[in-house]
Amino acid sequence: MRLLKSIVASAWMGWQREMEWTNPILSLFIKTVAPTAAVLSAAIVYWFGSSSAGLFTPERLAYIIVGASIYGQVAAYAYVPTSAIAEGKWSNLYPQVYITPTSSIPYLAGRCLASFADSAPVIVISLFVSYYVSSALFGAVPLIYFSFDSVVMLAGTLIVSLPAALALGYLLGSYSVFVSRFEWALPSYVSGLLMIFSEALFPANVLPYPFSLIPGVLPFTYLMRASRAALIYQSWSLYLTSMGYLALGGTLFLATGVIAFNLAEKLARKRGFIDKKVM
Amino acid sequence: MKLRLNLTLWYRTMYSRAWVRVRSTYGEPLWVAVNLAVPLLSSLAMALLYSSTGLSKFAGFAILGGVMLAFWGNVLWSMASQFNWDKEVGIFEIYLISPAPISAVLVGMSLGGILATVPSAALVTIIGWFFFPTPINPSWTVVLLTFVLTLASLYALGMLLSSLYLAYGREAESLNNAIGEAINLLSGLYFPAIGAGSPFPFAVQIVASLIPLTIGMDALRKAVFQTGNVSSVWFDLALLAVMAMVLLFLGDKALKALEERGRRQGTLVVRLK
Repeated sequence: MRLLKSIVASAWMGWQREMEWTNPILSLFIKTVAPTAAVLSAAIVYWFGSSSAGLFTPERLAYIIVGASIYGQVAAYAYVPTSAIAEGKWSNLYPQVYITPTSSIPYLAGRCLASFADSAPVIVISLFVSYYVSSALFGAVPLIYFSFDSVVMLAGTLIVSLPAALALGYLLGSYSVFVSRFEWALPSYVSGLLMIFSEALFPANVLPYPFSLIPGVLPFTYLMRASRAALIYQSWSLYLTSMGYLALGGTLFLATGVIAFNLAEKLARKRGFIDKKVM
Repeated sequence: MKLRLNLTLWYRTMYSRAWVRVRSTYGEPLWVAVNLAVPLLSSLAMALLYSSTGLSKFAGFAILGGVMLAFWGNVLWSMASQFNWDKEVGIFEIYLISPAPISAVLVGMSLGGILATVPSAALVTIIGWFFFPTPINPSWTVVLLTFVLTLASLYALGMLLSSLYLAYGREAESLNNAIGEAINLLSGLYFPAIGAGSPFPFAVQIVASLIPLTIGMDALRKAVFQTGNVSSVWFDLALLAVMAMVLLFLGDKALKALEERGRRQGTLVVRLK
């Protein structure tokens, strides 16, 4: 019960930090601008390249719009530990969380849940806006199906991706407890690498061997595949297979993340990094 | 005599502010790695996307976009929001009570920012061209002139934004995030946003043309990948020069107006709103 209360309290804190700095509607609007612009940039790059080559297809446009939109959710998770821990050291919040009877594990889980809650509507809005703007710009409707079934399937995908998201939070949190400078460096690299290696914009076979093997071991790749199975291919078999891999990979990834974070936190306490601000 | 003293003070202030920025980057090479992440990985992702469409010759557009993204990121995060951060840590009030001209601080920040971003931009170029060798047809004099004028107008925009951001508190970070990606899209960082090949309707192209990065990217693409002579980019260059002067003028006016308002309302050094 105490664990649940801690998670809810930190989720509320994360929500306040992300959404309540101004009117929440305005905050949601401002948060939507960047992911939508990023999705449209990717769609235009595809349109510009493929139409010059005479290879433009609405299916592939849909592939990019869905992948780039879902990637916005993954990228949002990458910055949670920096905001929760590295920034928390500067504001003296994190050392206070650390000395409470429950550990930082539920604190980080709550912050990840807050990120899920505030980025999920952003992703849905950016998906819709990109769909309609792309249709208007390119004169070709992306083959995305917004039926009741497909939306429920997408919601299920996002929920099943939570363990993987938490795992990313804990792994990056293991880095954040040690840093007091360059705290944005690793999240920037991780989110950038995930854009390349999680099939967000193109299939794995575009990458040269052996880099093309990397997407197969990342749970976020299966998040992309399951989302596309729901919204584009309408294929239950592909959807369930991807969801299975996402759940399994996410759970293994989460176990690794929790172990790594526990070890990192213990080491950081021993070496005095918990409230260290400048190295 | 007084004019000479003023000029000396202005120059020394500008030099000092630029030196701090250059020293902080070159004295800590990790900064280069930190600044490299977003422009390098974004441009590689876009270059791979171009390759996957079957036209890898356009991958060069993505790499050029990554190079300019390094500078645009610097303008947003190290120019526009800098006074806001200076206010948070208490440096801004020291600027105000010292005789140092604020305009010199801004110009010093710009020059220092450009010099500090050069290594990241160079690495994006080298790594990008290593993975995606693209045929180019440049006249280096025209490329250099276009590049310098693009940076001048971009950093002048940064000075204007930094003045405007003085009016904001913690919301500057969220605004920066929103503005950054929206301008990447409208300015055609990775594709032509104006003229032939643009996906945007004419009205949007007109709006996009008000952003210095749009004109700069258009001119750089022409200078690097197309004919490479000055006749193809002279209009863009003239426009960039005019933009730089107008934005400098507006930045100076906005800074003075907001400084005056802040002094009267007593909000100039208020840290959290």
